[in-house]
Amino acid sequence: MYNLFSAEKVTKKAKALFKEERAKMRVDGWFLAREIVAGKQEELKGLSKEMRAAKELEAIVTELPLTISDNAVFAGSQSDAFARSYALINPTFKVETFSGYCDPTAVYNDIEPNEEFTVERINKVREFSKNTAYVKALTEVYANYENYTEEVAFFIEQVTGHIIPDFRPALKYGVSKIMETLDKNIAETDDEYKKDNFKSIKLALNCAVVLANRYADIAAEKAKAAEGERKAELTHLEKTLRKVPFSPAESLFEAIQSYMLLWEVMCLEQAPNPFAFSVGNADRVFEPYRAMDNMSREDAASLLKHFLVFFNVGDRSWAISQNLLVSGRDVEGNDLTNLTSYALMDAYFDMNLPQPILSVKLHKNSPDQLYSELGRFFFSPGVLTPSLFNDDSVFELLRARNVAESDLADYSVAGCQEPLIMGKDNGNTTNSWLNCPKILELCLNGGYSMITGKEIEKQETPDALTLLKNIREIFYSTLERYVDKMCDAANGASKAVSELPVPFLSGFMGGVESGYDMRDTQNQGTPYNGSGCLIHGLSVMADSFVAIDKLLAERPEDAENLISALKANFEGYEELHQFLKSAPKFGNNIPVADNEAAEIAEKVSDIVSSHKNYLGNPFRADWASPTTHLTYGYWVGATPDGRVAREQLNYGVDPLYGEAGGGMGFRMLSNMRLPFHKMGGGYASHLGIDPKYFTAETLEGKGLDFSKRVIKPLFFNEAMGDRVAPFYLYVNVTTPETLRKVLADPKKYAPSGVYIMRIHGTFVNFLDLSPEIQQDIIKRLDPASTTM
Amino acid sequence: MELKIFGKGFNFSQDGPGNRLVYHLKGCNMRCPWCSNPEGMRVNEGEFSTLSVEEVINEALISIPMFFENGGVTFTGGEATLQLEPLLLLVKELSKKGISVAIETNGTSPKLPELFPFLKHLIIDLKHPNSTTHKAVTGVANEVIKQNILSAAENGLDLLVRIPLINGFNASKDNLKEFVEFLKSVNRNNLKVEILKYHEYGKDKWQKCGLEYTMKDAFVTEQQRLDFETEIKNAGITVVRT
Repeated sequence: MYNLFSAEKVTKKAKALFKEERAKMRVDGWFLAREIVAGKQEELKGLSKEMRAAKELEAIVTELPLTISDNAVFAGSQSDAFARSYALINPTFKVETFSGYCDPTAVYNDIEPNEEFTVERINKVREFSKNTAYVKALTEVYANYENYTEEVAFFIEQVTGHIIPDFRPALKYGVSKIMETLDKNIAETDDEYKKDNFKSIKLALNCAVVLANRYADIAAEKAKAAEGERKAELTHLEKTLRKVPFSPAESLFEAIQSYMLLWEVMCLEQAPNPFAFSVGNADRVFEPYRAMDNMSREDAASLLKHFLVFFNVGDRSWAISQNLLVSGRDVEGNDLTNLTSYALMDAYFDMNLPQPILSVKLHKNSPDQLYSELGRFFFSPGVLTPSLFNDDSVFELLRARNVAESDLADYSVAGCQEPLIMGKDNGNTTNSWLNCPKILELCLNGGYSMITGKEIEKQETPDALTLLKNIREIFYSTLERYVDKMCDAANGASKAVSELPVPFLSGFMGGVESGYDMRDTQNQGTPYNGSGCLIHGLSVMADSFVAIDKLLAERPEDAENLISALKANFEGYEELHQFLKSAPKFGNNIPVADNEAAEIAEKVSDIVSSHKNYLGNPFRADWASPTTHLTYGYWVGATPDGRVAREQLNYGVDPLYGEAGGGMGFRMLSNMRLPFHKMGGGYASHLGIDPKYFTAETLEGKGLDFSKRVIKPLFFNEAMGDRVAPFYLYVNVTTPETLRKVLADPKKYAPSGVYIMRIHGTFVNFLDLSPEIQQDIIKRLDPASTTM
Repeated sequence: MELKIFGKGFNFSQDGPGNRLVYHLKGCNMRCPWCSNPEGMRVNEGEFSTLSVEEVINEALISIPMFFENGGVTFTGGEATLQLEPLLLLVKELSKKGISVAIETNGTSPKLPELFPFLKHLIIDLKHPNSTTHKAVTGVANEVIKQNILSAAENGLDLLVRIPLINGFNASKDNLKEFVEFLKSVNRNNLKVEILKYHEYGKDKWQKCGLEYTMKDAFVTEQQRLDFETEIKNAGITVVRT
């Protein structure tokens, strides 16, 4: 292959391919896929739901229209699996009207009718969808818990995507080998249920081969009409497609091609909601194949640029939250950075695409070269910045989750920051969402909402002074009650989604061994399983408890006034409001506030993880709030820390913006007191850092300084002793002024139309975001909290 | 016993080595017209807070995880030695607890050497080599400053002498000659010198404090700075940039 192109030409094509993708204002493939499925139902009657799913997938890959672009070096696309609907980058998104993704048929509103896709045609598929067992079951769950989810005391959702498949065996041995194993399993088992599942998985795996052959036919057809270099390239592509993924890959080119087709089928199986699938350590996946033909870093990077473009869908890169990792360590502590790690970083830097997200795994012996090469990402304006993971801590966290030693190095990141084991872990990461400050509000107001006055769940409330004196006890016992309900609802959603088996994905998630679909709620199909709970409002809670204590110590006679002030959103209580705001706040290295936050994190995590999911596995406490700090804050009344009604909650485990004015050192010290070992599902934290503090002359020098002054003190601080150190961070190295300038004059500051910023676990084109999210990013840079 | 402070926070390598918890003590006996912290000049005016010696010690102790790269605590100002009594107590206690302490001072306190036994690092400004000019512009003569520099160097402290290079005040070739002449008389074993270019980061603060900012045409070129650095280096003295 590499005789056909120079790295320069391959890069040029990758850039043209991305431009082509961004010009796509419609992505209708997902609808076609659903329409094909709807049309097959009569034929599939009487089959098990797993076999039906496999046959539906087969119909999709057989009938879906396919193309290969003239700029494509590889065949394959994700564009037929996603709808233009993800809230963050949807220009119509508004905090006040966003109600979560609780209507699985709402996606049909995101397709604009035209001559080809008429209203009638869309409605027909929508009606089919509404009558599926899945939608019926899910609708019932939402209806039963609406009183709790409407003002977001908690929220639940069915989890699609959010998995790290292990395609390594398919690359190494070919899908054919896995199908052979399945044949053997089919022959050997007497369990009819398993037998049917093995057959379903086999049929689903074959879909990748079907797809490859269809693409091969297109390549052959195009080759006939092409000339010169392009002809040779298409011929080579056809040959490759006839080989992989059926047979083992034997070069980087073949490995990437094989991987892309497997990924395409995996996404089609879950269209239109395959969000947040992740590649895992792409450097470890591809390095053996790069090494096979000893490809240079530059040449490898050029091919990987096409791999990165593949993850971008349509005009706004709608396939959001797909994560790719590089670097990290093995279980003995050896560094695993390889040449493909650096080639991938080169590809990322040169392309600067909105997707897929880059994450870097670090450990205490990460090489200086890695830090110095990261400098260009952090210190080039508008360029993506990777999120950072601390392997040393994550390994400890996973050990506590009973992950086997041999699996530790294979942890990857599903979506934003949730650590899962590649190919083995169904974590249902976004299954449930808990709003602690809302529950505090309900405790303080007899179970009635302070926002709408509505009764959420009535509770006996003592007089104000007694209530405040016992607020912790009352809060934690109320929380227990709400978490019970939340977990019931979340398990209901998981059962609903089990109506949509995923035989193809199950083939890369332990199904070949277990004989169960990974979504099966009766039998565990994956070696590891759990359900996630994203917990909101840590510092608002801590600051509220501390403010209540201050009030009780200094002016207990105002207990009743505090409740009245909260109900009135402090109007008419300005002096009391100031008093509450002056109480110590988390994030300033003040022990009373920091210890309170640590205690809340510990207790709430324990409550969450003591609850069991549909298979009896624990819910995993995840202290992350992917933009939900905004949308959930909107439903929370004034809080005792002085936060006004409908204002956002704090982000992840960070202090509420504006409350930690003492700078980076104090903020880190507060952060280090938190019980990270309890955050088994992950957590989120962000630092907005002014680049002026880094004065080294080169980007490499700045990268090294960044590691010395930010990463190492936070992740690898010896003072943490045996405690689990922080393990996740994302940063934006910029200032509010810079971002305001970019918004005011995008042509000047982002001539390419792409200015990448990070928002929680993903990065996004800042210019694609809805205005409210843009303002949130600016607000949360919170420069006073990161002075150095 | 209490300290009056007008600011605190961490700073990396600019106020002593490594990452340091820096306390800005309120009040200064000089009136340098280029001062970048004018809000710290007057003892009882403007915003400040008070911290007991005990509170500072506790804060330093819980901040130890952030003293990376040989960091510690730095007291600066204003002029730290104007609050000598609590400062002395703090410096003693912190050093007893193994925390590296640095003082950043204008060097005018005759009692400064009382702190030496407990200090790891001392940063002294020498704004002008000539005492008359020094007094005319800052309000204070420089004899004690020079004496303190000599004495600190003899005592083996890690000593950094900082010269803020200001056009029209101390940046001429004659000034350079005089600076070098004095610096040559200092024990060079532990001496480092840093030339800081004039900047106006504090200009807005003067207005906020209701004061007039009178500096004009004070910027120096990079070449002027390099000339100073080269000449001082040539005299066998270590020159650094922090």
